[in-house]
Amino acid sequence: MPQLEVRDVTVRYKKRVGIQNASLQAERGEIIGFIGADGTGKSSLMHAIAGVIRFEGEIVYDGVAYHSPKEAERIKAEIGLMPQGIGLVLYDDLTVGEHLQFFADIRDVKQDEAFYAYRDKLLHMAGLSEFTDRLAGNLSGGMMQKLSLICTLLHRPKLLILDEPTTGVDPLSRLELWEILDNIRKEEGTIALVSTAYMQEAARMDKVLLFDDSKIIAKGKLEELVHEIEPYVYEKSPCEECLTIHGKSFSLKPLDAPHTTPSLEDIFFVNALKSQKLPPKIEIGARSDGTELPEIVMEAKGLTKRFGSFVADDHIDMQLRRGEILGLLGANGAGKTTFIKMLLGLYPIDEGELTLLGRPIRSGKDRQKLKAKIGYVSQHFALYKELTVRENLLYFANMHHIPPTEAIRRIGRYAEELGFAEYMDDFPSSLPLGVNQRFSVAAALLHEPVVLFLDEPTSGVDAIARAQFWEMLRLLKQKWGISILITTHYMSEAEYCDRVVLLKRGKKIADDTVENLYKSHPDAKSFEEIFLSYYRENA
Amino acid sequence: MKTRTVRAFALKEFVDLYRSRMIVMVYLLPVMILVLFGYGIRMEVTHARVMIIDNDHSKFSKELVAKFEHSKYYNPSVVQIPEKEALRSIKQAKTDALIIIPSSFEKRLLHGQKSEIGVFVDGSFPTRATTIEGYIQGTILDAASEVSARMGMKPKGMITLNQRTLFNQAMRDEDAVVPGLIGLILLVAPAILSALLIVKEKEKGTIFNFYASPLSKAEFLAAKLIPVFALHSLNIFLLFLLAVYLFDVPFRGSFMLYWLSSELYILISLSIGLLVSVITRRQVVAVVLTVIITVIPGFLYSGILMPISSMQGESYIEAHLFPVMYYNHILYDTFLIGQGLASEKIVLYLGILVVFFLFYFAAGTLWLKKEMR
Amino acid sequence: MRPFLITFGKELLIFLRSVMLVLVVLYSFTVDVYVAGQGVEMKPRNVTVGYVDKTGGGISQKILSRLHMPEFKPPKAFLSQKALSEAIFNKEIRVGLVFDRDFAVDYRKGRPAQLDVLLDATVASQSLITLIYLKNIVLDFTDLAMPLQIKTHKLFNQNADTHQFMALSELLSVITLLVVILAAVVFVKEKEDGTWDIMLLMPVSPKVTILAKSLSQVFIVMIGTVIAVGWVLMGAFDVPINGSFWAFVLLTFFYSFSSAGIGLFVAAVSKDVMQVAQLSIIIMMPLIFLSGAWTPIYAMHPILQKLSLLSPLRYYIEGTQSIFFRGTDFVDLWPYFGGVIVLGALLYLYGFRKIGRLF
Repeated sequence: MPQLEVRDVTVRYKKRVGIQNASLQAERGEIIGFIGADGTGKSSLMHAIAGVIRFEGEIVYDGVAYHSPKEAERIKAEIGLMPQGIGLVLYDDLTVGEHLQFFADIRDVKQDEAFYAYRDKLLHMAGLSEFTDRLAGNLSGGMMQKLSLICTLLHRPKLLILDEPTTGVDPLSRLELWEILDNIRKEEGTIALVSTAYMQEAARMDKVLLFDDSKIIAKGKLEELVHEIEPYVYEKSPCEECLTIHGKSFSLKPLDAPHTTPSLEDIFFVNALKSQKLPPKIEIGARSDGTELPEIVMEAKGLTKRFGSFVADDHIDMQLRRGEILGLLGANGAGKTTFIKMLLGLYPIDEGELTLLGRPIRSGKDRQKLKAKIGYVSQHFALYKELTVRENLLYFANMHHIPPTEAIRRIGRYAEELGFAEYMDDFPSSLPLGVNQRFSVAAALLHEPVVLFLDEPTSGVDAIARAQFWEMLRLLKQKWGISILITTHYMSEAEYCDRVVLLKRGKKIADDTVENLYKSHPDAKSFEEIFLSYYRENA
Repeated sequence: MKTRTVRAFALKEFVDLYRSRMIVMVYLLPVMILVLFGYGIRMEVTHARVMIIDNDHSKFSKELVAKFEHSKYYNPSVVQIPEKEALRSIKQAKTDALIIIPSSFEKRLLHGQKSEIGVFVDGSFPTRATTIEGYIQGTILDAASEVSARMGMKPKGMITLNQRTLFNQAMRDEDAVVPGLIGLILLVAPAILSALLIVKEKEKGTIFNFYASPLSKAEFLAAKLIPVFALHSLNIFLLFLLAVYLFDVPFRGSFMLYWLSSELYILISLSIGLLVSVITRRQVVAVVLTVIITVIPGFLYSGILMPISSMQGESYIEAHLFPVMYYNHILYDTFLIGQGLASEKIVLYLGILVVFFLFYFAAGTLWLKKEMR
Repeated sequence: MRPFLITFGKELLIFLRSVMLVLVVLYSFTVDVYVAGQGVEMKPRNVTVGYVDKTGGGISQKILSRLHMPEFKPPKAFLSQKALSEAIFNKEIRVGLVFDRDFAVDYRKGRPAQLDVLLDATVASQSLITLIYLKNIVLDFTDLAMPLQIKTHKLFNQNADTHQFMALSELLSVITLLVVILAAVVFVKEKEDGTWDIMLLMPVSPKVTILAKSLSQVFIVMIGTVIAVGWVLMGAFDVPINGSFWAFVLLTFFYSFSSAGIGLFVAAVSKDVMQVAQLSIIIMMPLIFLSGAWTPIYAMHPILQKLSLLSPLRYYIEGTQSIFFRGTDFVDLWPYFGGVIVLGALLYLYGFRKIGRLF
């Protein structure tokens, strides 16, 4: 009999189903991965197993069966739950040390020498030993997640449920989190259920469950799953009823093209094909007038921003050239957003010089004439939630003084090209993130800017929508010849940029083209590894 | 219940309240309300701006004017302007009342002829107008009876009121308003704080620490409510000191009764907050809802604006459904009257307050669920 | 002009989309004003009277017969002064009258007759007015030797009807509260959602956006005000408009506009809706206190009198009462207009600087 058995669990909310008829089994010491896009039921299932939400079906842990949160009380001492969201279970006004004390107290952990030894070990593993006096509100995202994890581990749970513990965490911290996890399950025989948005992490799991449409659609070892899709993956070739993404084509029908090795993310693309949810094809038409850009679109010299004694950006030099996609990479809190906000004038520049489109920027007045040439998409897609997609776009068009007939024409065109025409009369909050993301870019493109600033446009968006998004950027660069500055914390996305700048704690630690970086790191199999080596060097 | 766990959790709440500076609001708001309203609500009228047009210039009229000049109730100005212009001054809200003494006023009176003093009062603030009107009539009659007595005229009938106001001899507004305000504050503030402490965890997500741990509902509630109870218990003393030393409200009853009934009242208030936190998810909603269900009845049924005995129909019944009325009865007794437990009514009201607490607390506890919704 | 109208329209659309908000605003302007006007009574009503009569009737009964509904409940007789005091202590009786034996004799003989009044003064406001009522009644029984008469006119509100006054006061509070909070929320919501950054980057002057946004909320409140005045004040309470209705509309417009400036200020310094709530309370309470709504400004401490110049509500309350009740001429209203306009302008200048510009 397995240690944990979940039978036919269904979670219903008022208006929708969270997860339907999910079953799974786990043995001691196993790490089970929950993989799938947002809103596919991973969190619902985790909440049901943790006994914090009502569900139908049965869960048996260590011989104890439960059918409701009330019955689950009996095993709560064994469970550790880390819900989704950075620092969600932390109190901003408590220090790291106080958190550990608090979590030990509410779990009624006996505080003897063994406890302190274990506590220190966890602190050390998380690299937080020196920060016990720091307020949680002042920690970086990665540190917050590590603190949440060790707080969850403090009472030595035998069933660990971690909901996206690594999202938004820098690559090095992510690596450390996995090391902690690996150690614990070996030492304590803990079962860990982990959901993740990073496919690379799936490789470290004993078993993965794929989620789609509130159901578990596949389970097994990762290699098996990748192996299963091999027949559907081809090198890039023209085809019908198929999907071409990132230089590969996916088709259920045999294609007249050589096969190629599938990657982990390809599982999603094949799955989309199977469930006949073909994403719309992205196109970009010609713009109404030509693009005239100076050779150097943006030049920053020694740009610095301080918040009190904290230096968010420390003397950063950067150039954005004509017709280039420049990736600005770094962990949460590395200073990416602050930098973009300085470029846009949303934050005052404390030190340094900025030239935009050949014009030196000294005050807000210098920016007035440039406004029509710049497009900006902010983090979390700033849209009016009470207005429909169409109304949002019409509003932005009006504010840009675009004549009404022309505005309606352009909006219609983008809706078709970027594939959100069917959603025009919906409210943004009811739409998938991927759609919101494309339509906020459409809003930023309405006035046909010559330079585009994108702040984390892909975070929280599922793999297919991300792939389409990059296809769109590629076409924009190709057809319009505009320059794009984009920030992201998905290191794998660096591959699609022409050049990348890597920030760490407000300092620039790398700035080069993608090819050059690969050349200087011949051993690296992926971009993730290149960045890891930079992060380690500069630790 | 594991006391160690509860103590640790409650301690965390204190630290959180202190570091998030919420603690300032816990004490600032009650003090601010008491001071502003205590100084602010004035039913008594002093320094009313009275304009007097003396068309007579006789000894009698001058004596009358002097009467006005020597009273703290008026701030008179004697002018020689046409009536129309004086009335315009009222329209401009520069004058509250206008008194016109007719010409040959003294002469006519001495000859036993009728003479009429015209008084015009700005009625746009009705209660203030009624008060000023009463003052002016009293002052004029006073002067008249003095003059007539001196001249040996014999009145045919005269009644003087010998008022003995009980409990609040000087009829000070402070004595009447401040205890009622304490009843309002101790109803609103603990409710808001306790609702916030729970809803804040819901909104931020830290409520998972409770959902996912073996912590029982009773322990969680104790940890959340003890700090609120402790912090506001201090307010009982703070408000008492302000009332007695800043506003000079007399305290004639038993302090023990004041203290214990106030603690009981705080318990009722935080149970209301608990109920609010059960049904809301966002802090803003929790605050607004708590304010709506506590401030309005707290004001209406506090007895500050009108005594319960003057209410009619639904409002009379409604007043009995809120705890304010009972607590305020005890409050006014301890401050101004001092009957204490000797009065059966007070014992009954204490009992009713206990029932209120048990009812609200039980409802809140039963509704609070240890699971997501 | 186009961006202004578009933004203005967009804000109205957003407002109408939130059914809850529309209902709350409508409720505030109708039911709330009505309840306040109907419910709170400052005049004595149902005052319980007890008396001890040792005169054997006559003048004492004549006086008692003047205490009638709705102000007074039928007086209740007590045998001794002790029993009467006890009833007052238990709050069963609020006013006690003691006619002792000498009373009737003195009165008949033309000597000042003394009537003892016991008054429960825990509710000072009503006690005070009750006392004045009593004085007026007793006055009618007083016959001075000299034929002096006092003729009082209560201008603008002959019957001292408190319903009209309370309804109008409540309307003014509703206007103040709603315009500050609505304006603060429309700005802080854009800050929270991140749309404000996008607005700043539009090729439209942020000043235009700020004005359009606040004027849209002013417009909502103005509509509510017209509904409240037409339907509740005039319909239910027959409040007169002795002055010019348009002067009121204009003053309300300028006042709402400068109050929206307070909202803008609150939004500029707060991070989220929670802070808006806290800050609004802390700012609004002193503003209302200093406005003279409760204490006439001339009766305040001299320093407070100076400070009250900073409360736009001060000008608005005085101005509105002047228009409705006093029927003040338009030209005499200039101080009120001046006050709200100057304060509003200052607040907007701050708002423009704080959130309305790029660096």
